[in-house]
Amino acid sequence: MSALRLVSAVGRRATRTLVDARRGYAEAVSDKIKLSLVLPHQAIFTSTDVVQVNLPAATGDMGILANHVPSIEAVRPGVVEVVESGNASKKFFVSGGFATVHPNNKLTINVIEAAALDAFSVEAVRSNLQEALRVANGNGSEEDKLEARVEADVYEALQHALSH
Amino acid sequence: MLARQALCRVAKPSVAGSAPAGARNMATLREIEMRLKSVRNIEKITKSMKLIASTKLAKAQRALNSGKEYGLANSEIFQHASSEPTGKRKLFVVVSSDKGMCGGIHSSVSKATRREFADKDSDLDKDSPIAVIGDKSKSQLSRVLPGNLVISFNQIGRDIPTFADAAGVADLILKSGVEYDSIAIVYNKFVSAISYESAIVEVQTANSLKESPGFSAYEMEDDVTTDLAEFAFANAIYAALVEGHACEISARRNAMDNASKNAGDMIGNLQLKYNRGRQAAITNELVDIITGASAL
Repeated sequence: MSALRLVSAVGRRATRTLVDARRGYAEAVSDKIKLSLVLPHQAIFTSTDVVQVNLPAATGDMGILANHVPSIEAVRPGVVEVVESGNASKKFFVSGGFATVHPNNKLTINVIEAAALDAFSVEAVRSNLQEALRVANGNGSEEDKLEARVEADVYEALQHALSH
Repeated sequence: MLARQALCRVAKPSVAGSAPAGARNMATLREIEMRLKSVRNIEKITKSMKLIASTKLAKAQRALNSGKEYGLANSEIFQHASSEPTGKRKLFVVVSSDKGMCGGIHSSVSKATRREFADKDSDLDKDSPIAVIGDKSKSQLSRVLPGNLVISFNQIGRDIPTFADAAGVADLILKSGVEYDSIAIVYNKFVSAISYESAIVEVQTANSLKESPGFSAYEMEDDVTTDLAEFAFANAIYAALVEGHACEISARRNAMDNASKNAGDMIGNLQLKYNRGRQAAITNELVDIITGASAL
């Protein structure tokens, strides 16, 4: 009889754990963060659910997952990788801007320019980098040299991204 | 002999009577012909302007949609980190353009700005600075609020506005050293292809962001608040420029459409007048001839 009581008690506990497991599935959906990756002339992602976003922040590379703490980061020229689901990931080279994680599990990235890595030509990048370095080390005005320095930084980051 | 007399009697009245009458008719007919020619030319011009605006509108609407998304993502931070600015000096950035023939676009934003200043219930500082983009609005506002204009821009909006335009505007405004506690961008919002309305979007300065309670929820490794505020300012100007451009093109299309329709109506009326005048001249000549013939 006690064995019967034991079995029924185990049976009751088993059903309870089954219910707990079902509640667990519902939480799995919020494992995604809503990403809006927007350029002035094009919206690459608009409030799309993604699993993870890797960004080149000015303070260092960082990965953003769902329910990240709200934060504001300046984005330096580099590669933004977006993992939508499973192992499918898309990479874009971005020029620079701001990435903000909001309290409501939203990530907005405003950058000026972005393109998929296969849209770039290695030759063009190399020749433009040489041109920018020439102006940066040349005899132009301070403003021109600073602009050329910024340009050279972007091309160097682009070269680095393309060679990986 | 009788025939010769008849001929003479017929000839004289026709020369004496219908010359002034005919000449008068001819003069009127000539005038109507000239008016007809010029209105036909105007109709051609307005029709072609309407066609150009229609083709530009498709491209402008596509840019508008992307620009709007960009502006929405940009303003997300302001929704979470809103705050009432302590000072009441507001910088108004009035977004318009240099070209006319677009209906009430420029007066729409100028009126909206004037309304803000004339509002007795608001505690806005009446010395608030105004930055104007576009010569048409500049001339309208310089008549009403001349003391408030601090900086103006032109040659923007000839084509689809780019981020470089907006960044240049933001840069010059920030470099000019104008002081303000908050920013309001006045532009035309695109409601549909046949209507628009003026709208004002608020942008926060770095100081008001720092004072906002919602802002402290955000973590920042380095303090990028000033950079963020300046970037957000340029983004908001870009979104307003693109939307204003789309509104202007659709308004120009509608205005030229109306003008073409009016010109078409005028041509119809003038054509009728011309025909009636021509027929009247012929009838007069006939009457003269018949009168002369019946007098025989």
